[in-house]
Amino acid sequence: MGGQACVLYGGAEFSRDTDLLVLADDANLERLTAALDALEADVIAVPPFERRHLEGGLAVHFRCRAPGATGMRVDVMATLRGLPGFETLWDRRTTIETDGGTIEVLSLRDLVTAKKTQRDKDWPMIARLVEADLARHGEARDADAVELWLEELRTPSLLIGLARELPDAATAAIPRRPLLTHALAGDATALKAALRAEEDAEREADRLYWAPLRLQLEQIRLGRRASG
Amino acid sequence: MKQVAKQDSIDWVDLVGAEWAEWYSLTPAQRLEESSRLWQTYLELGGSLDPEPDSQSPFYSDEEWCAFAPHGRSGMRVVRRG
Repeated sequence: MGGQACVLYGGAEFSRDTDLLVLADDANLERLTAALDALEADVIAVPPFERRHLEGGLAVHFRCRAPGATGMRVDVMATLRGLPGFETLWDRRTTIETDGGTIEVLSLRDLVTAKKTQRDKDWPMIARLVEADLARHGEARDADAVELWLEELRTPSLLIGLARELPDAATAAIPRRPLLTHALAGDATALKAALRAEEDAEREADRLYWAPLRLQLEQIRLGRRASG
Repeated sequence: MKQVAKQDSIDWVDLVGAEWAEWYSLTPAQRLEESSRLWQTYLELGGSLDPEPDSQSPFYSDEEWCAFAPHGRSGMRVVRRG
């Protein structure tokens, strides 16, 4: 769902770890445990690998020791800020066929939402993910793709170009993304400022979402230190 | 699916540079293949698979990062990546 998904969608060229979004029920976690055992994966850092932590929104971090996967990092999560539960995300997933087998990844729209974090590095990634989707379509336009671009593009010149090309669709999307008024007006300066404000608001929302979870992580660390 | 109007061609090389324009033009399977090659090169050059310290990550702990980094270093810089 993370860096590897960004590679597949064209937003990144390389990722050092693998992020997995899982259904946190007992049967599935049992299967996951078996898979992680095969990889000789150890939990590193906090929290421990427990269903309640996954359901609470924390990520569990592993490092593998098995030959062929030595040193590989795997992060596991079960919930993502701003997104519905696993079943819905699974229904909306993208399936990619490769020589090495089938890969299931978050839908592009869900991945973009998941990347709206407080981290600097995620925002250029979002821009590239949506650009790559626009590039992939070439001159083809379908309503779903246009909706995604109008709501998620972060490249001012592309947004202005798209609004000029599809003024009715852009106007219809204004209630969902007010900054499209600047794109329709061709006002790049106002559009850049509005994009920045949009990003700042999402970063703040992410910080607020994580504040109690960070406290929880710190308490787990303190407990671990206290118990030696 | 409902079709709407077409846009004039975008000069992707001009907009994002030749490297990203080329990357955008690949299929997901081609990107996976290319990324795997980068991965191999990176490992052969001694790169670490641990993430670089990221103080903006909600999971980041300075103390924990030092304790769990297997080599006590952040790993080499990647030449090409997202």
